[in-house]
Amino acid sequence: MRTAPFSPADPGLADLADLGPRSLVALGIRVTPVLASGWVVTVLLALAAGAGRIIAPLTVQRAIDRGLAPAAVTHALEVGAAALVVAGLSSWALNRRVQRRTERALASLRREGLARAHEMSATTADQVRSADLVARLTSDVDTITTFTQNGGVQMITNLAQLLLATAVMAAFCWQLTVPVVALALVLLLSMTRLQRVVARRFAVVRADVSTMQGVVAEAVIGAPVIRVTGTADRMRAQLDEAVDRTRSSQLRTLVPLHGNTALGEVAISTMTVLVILLGVGWTTHQQWGPAPDLSAGQLVAMVFLVTFFVRPLQFLVQSLGEAQNALVGWRRALELVTTPSAVVSGAHAVDLAGGPVGVELDAVSASYAGGPPVVHDLTVRIAPGQHVAVVGESGSGKSTFAKLLTRRIQPLGGEIRLGGRPLGSIADAALERRVVIVPQDPFLFDTTLGQNIAVGLPDVVEADVRRVLGDLGLADWLAELPDGLATRVGVRGDRLSVGERQLVALARTALVDPDLVILDEATSAVDPATDVRVQAALARLTEGRTTVSIAHRMATAERADVVLVFEAGRIVQVGHHGDLVVAQGPYADLFAAWR
Amino acid sequence: MSAVGRALRVLARGSRDHPGPAAVATTAGLVNGGTMVLGAAAVGWTTDHLVLPVLDGRPVGAATWWAGAGVILGVSAVRCGTIWVRGVATGRVQHRAQAATRRAVVRRYLHLDLAWHREHPPGRLLAHAVSDVDAVWSPVQWLYFALGMVFMLVGALAQLALTAPALGTVGLLLVAGVLVLNVVYQRLLTPRARDGQAARGDVARTAHESIEAGPVVRSLGLAGAEDARFAPEVERVREANTRMAAISAVFDPLLELLPTVAVLAVLGIGSRAVSAGDLTLGSLVGVCYLLLTVSIPLSVLSRFLSILPLAAAGHERVEAVLDAPTATYGVVGGAGPDGPALLEVRGADVVRGEATLLHAVDLTVEPGTVCAVVGATGAGKTTLVDLVCGQIGPSRGEVLVDGRPLDDLDLARRAATLGLVGQSPFLFSTTIRDNLALDGHPREGLRAYTDTELWTALEVADAADFVGALPAGLDSVVGERGATLSGGQRQRLCLARALLRRPRLLVLDDATSALDPRVELRVLARLRALVDDGGPTVLLVANRHGSLAVADRVVFLADGRVVDAGTHDELRERHADFRDIVSAYDGGRTDDEDRAVLAG
Repeated sequence: MRTAPFSPADPGLADLADLGPRSLVALGIRVTPVLASGWVVTVLLALAAGAGRIIAPLTVQRAIDRGLAPAAVTHALEVGAAALVVAGLSSWALNRRVQRRTERALASLRREGLARAHEMSATTADQVRSADLVARLTSDVDTITTFTQNGGVQMITNLAQLLLATAVMAAFCWQLTVPVVALALVLLLSMTRLQRVVARRFAVVRADVSTMQGVVAEAVIGAPVIRVTGTADRMRAQLDEAVDRTRSSQLRTLVPLHGNTALGEVAISTMTVLVILLGVGWTTHQQWGPAPDLSAGQLVAMVFLVTFFVRPLQFLVQSLGEAQNALVGWRRALELVTTPSAVVSGAHAVDLAGGPVGVELDAVSASYAGGPPVVHDLTVRIAPGQHVAVVGESGSGKSTFAKLLTRRIQPLGGEIRLGGRPLGSIADAALERRVVIVPQDPFLFDTTLGQNIAVGLPDVVEADVRRVLGDLGLADWLAELPDGLATRVGVRGDRLSVGERQLVALARTALVDPDLVILDEATSAVDPATDVRVQAALARLTEGRTTVSIAHRMATAERADVVLVFEAGRIVQVGHHGDLVVAQGPYADLFAAWR
Repeated sequence: MSAVGRALRVLARGSRDHPGPAAVATTAGLVNGGTMVLGAAAVGWTTDHLVLPVLDGRPVGAATWWAGAGVILGVSAVRCGTIWVRGVATGRVQHRAQAATRRAVVRRYLHLDLAWHREHPPGRLLAHAVSDVDAVWSPVQWLYFALGMVFMLVGALAQLALTAPALGTVGLLLVAGVLVLNVVYQRLLTPRARDGQAARGDVARTAHESIEAGPVVRSLGLAGAEDARFAPEVERVREANTRMAAISAVFDPLLELLPTVAVLAVLGIGSRAVSAGDLTLGSLVGVCYLLLTVSIPLSVLSRFLSILPLAAAGHERVEAVLDAPTATYGVVGGAGPDGPALLEVRGADVVRGEATLLHAVDLTVEPGTVCAVVGATGAGKTTLVDLVCGQIGPSRGEVLVDGRPLDDLDLARRAATLGLVGQSPFLFSTTIRDNLALDGHPREGLRAYTDTELWTALEVADAADFVGALPAGLDSVVGERGATLSGGQRQRLCLARALLRRPRLLVLDDATSALDPRVELRVLARLRALVDDGGPTVLLVANRHGSLAVADRVVFLADGRVVDAGTHDELRERHADFRDIVSAYDGGRTDDEDRAVLAG
């Protein structure tokens, strides 16, 4: 937990790209310890499952070796059946156990991830596309489920089977085991090599698919523009190109991908031939060295064991791709969860005194993501309860000023104090609902109008919502909505016009009744009559509270106690409208243009 | 027809569409299936003719040694080759079919009604084009493999029946048992998989909403409430996945171990046949080997079958897109006449769902004039814009351009006639040059624009300065939806794009809202000059003074009706509501004063 959020740390999510698979798994287990809980039992179950799979066919060999004597056959059937039951039951238990633990870990990974998305620094949140964050909570986590369900658990059983088969082979006949294992190593080496080629080509596919998604999204979101400009042909060419490029890169994966599968087949047959010929030859040619003494049954058993040895090996190599996918998904989810929290809390955090909040800035400068400073040497005092208007051309630093006051950007230098306390050390809990920014494009939840207004306070009743709308002079507007407060606002509020969304955000803020309100072009899309009405009502409602209004409608400035004029990242004029408008300077120019 | 049947029919069509690779994949699949039977037989033959005699001390000729090694290796080589060829050919069918369907879907998006687009969120359309298309063709990856395996199973059963009828019965029981188990498995799994899919959809939606709501969540301290909302949905995914796992935990081992059960049965039955001399030991070994390898084809078959319902669901969604009605246009083409257009709206109603957004709207904009539409928030201004631009159709009444119904014009003619700058400026993630030029001049045979033309348009939109200041100038890439630019800059580029196309009717929907007052005035003054110079007829939605000052005529809209139309002064005189809106920020200035400001 960071207690000093204003440290100039690199914004962005935690970067785990350099972490090897082993450290990644270790980190994953640290984050969700449930994964490794009871691992001894898990390993034992895997060994039992693997053993059962090997023993059953071996007993068959035993019986054949004994010339299929009735007693031997009966014995083989009994042992084999018992082994099958053990294999079945332990596989079942292993499956349940691993998948339950995985799913519990994934559920907590998702929840912690969303919590962290809300706790990370605003600079980081601004830099990461929300679709990317969502992917880290959804599809990336899903790849892990897909992997455990389609091969992950089998991978564990196969690994156990591989180890056991090697041990049994060595016990049967080490002379044949050595060349088989050597061959397996060669196979493993070449298959992993090839697998790397496959992975590289799949990385190209992923990049192409992502580009294609971008183009399709553009075609869908830009549909009105494409239609009205009649440029469907141009878009179609782009879409075709993106689709075809994806297809080509997919086709390029085929040769190495299936080459790898085929390679496994070659290895199996080579090993089979090797075991049969070398086994038979060596037994009959003792002069070759310390010869094995193999019966026919044992030799055939070796052939079967080779299969038990190679099949899992093949499976493991082929699952490498899936495993890599799952690891990438896991890494991306973990990167979100391990991103440092920017929440200020704990012993070092200070509270914000009650009542209206004063604002002081001393020589504050700020920049975006390592760029050049966009505001310089901001020094200003806003008394508690004052209404301040901030004006200036776009790009003059007004919005940066708003972001500084709400900790959405960290100053490069200087100090900001709210209520006399350094902003960097004020607890998040103390700022919630007391320092509120109303943005130009407010976010609405896909629910009703009433719930969107009441969202900041869990236990408001409908009467409160109606009262606040009435106080803002919006009762008529509400009355015209067919479903009133129960009106569904749609995804992000898109069933309402931009202006209506802004009204909802204002009502929401007024209901919370904060001590410092920052209005960042909060009524830019509201029609002038409503705007003036709402602004006047808001001024009444925020009587005694501190407000900072950023607007390019100069009417706001006319009513403010103090006007701050921004130009090229500096505050160039401070004063009352009446004084500024008659003085030579940028304010008089701005006002003249607006008039 | 069942979902599986539908999916199979789609696969058959896909194979027919790509006959070359499909034929290769089928052949390779069948040969491969054959080699699996032959491989087991080869091991059996080697046991009988080589291993047993040698270990019994009987002499075996070198030829037998070579034959044993050769048969096993030969069969393996063929199998290996067919695996590779089948894989590559299968991939060709799959990815080519995918690309073909995907092209069809995304092309359809370009021609579907905008009303249809409005009802389908972009995220869902993206999913149709990407994951649903993938789903439709994903069974192909197992198709030819499965075909070969069916062939192999038939061959294996035949071989078993020939070797020993009793063993054939065991084999038959095994295959039947596995298939029955698979059917039961899928029956149990499918509803659980669907639950999981639905739950995952909910998680994605909530996560997306919550993350987009980030600033509100921080500002109002909603993190706890968001977690409380998210947790039950995450829990539902966990439960659904765990319930799926509970099923597969039973069936996966069962299916995997069933062949070994069959081996034990074969041993019990076969041992007697061997003792009785009806069966050689080698044949018995071969049968066991065969039964153990049979687990591969059975698992391939079950994978193939299990993927079919998903493919059918994907196909249904893709078909819904392909069958949706496309937007219809008229047949009148060409660039049309030059000079400003006459726009008339006659008795137009626009109804969406239950709500009537526009009632009997009448509106005439004379050629070469500027008409402003004024109205309160929610009065129906944007709906009117959509109507005159042909983005939505009227439920009643009509829109005429130069006296001809807008519906009669084809797409190219509309594009050459109309220009629209919307409320939210949309830019493509390409260079500024591409964003401006798009596919060329719509009125002059899509010829390329000269740099001079581009800069002139940027000049009018007051965008030349900032574009010129960018390091790469016109060739600067603007990022996803113009993310590297400010809202005001995006608006000015969109305006420049519209001007560049020299429309005969230019519609601006609050298109200067993000501009500073000084910049806005400059832009409007240049626009007015353009109109006076024989430029387009302009319909602009705006409540601000500067916009009204450039208008010849003003239309006052309230609750979806045209309340009145006239000059700014007339309307101000006649309607208190109108005065409230346009004079809200000042104490009642007149047009003349505004014009004076503009001129000055």
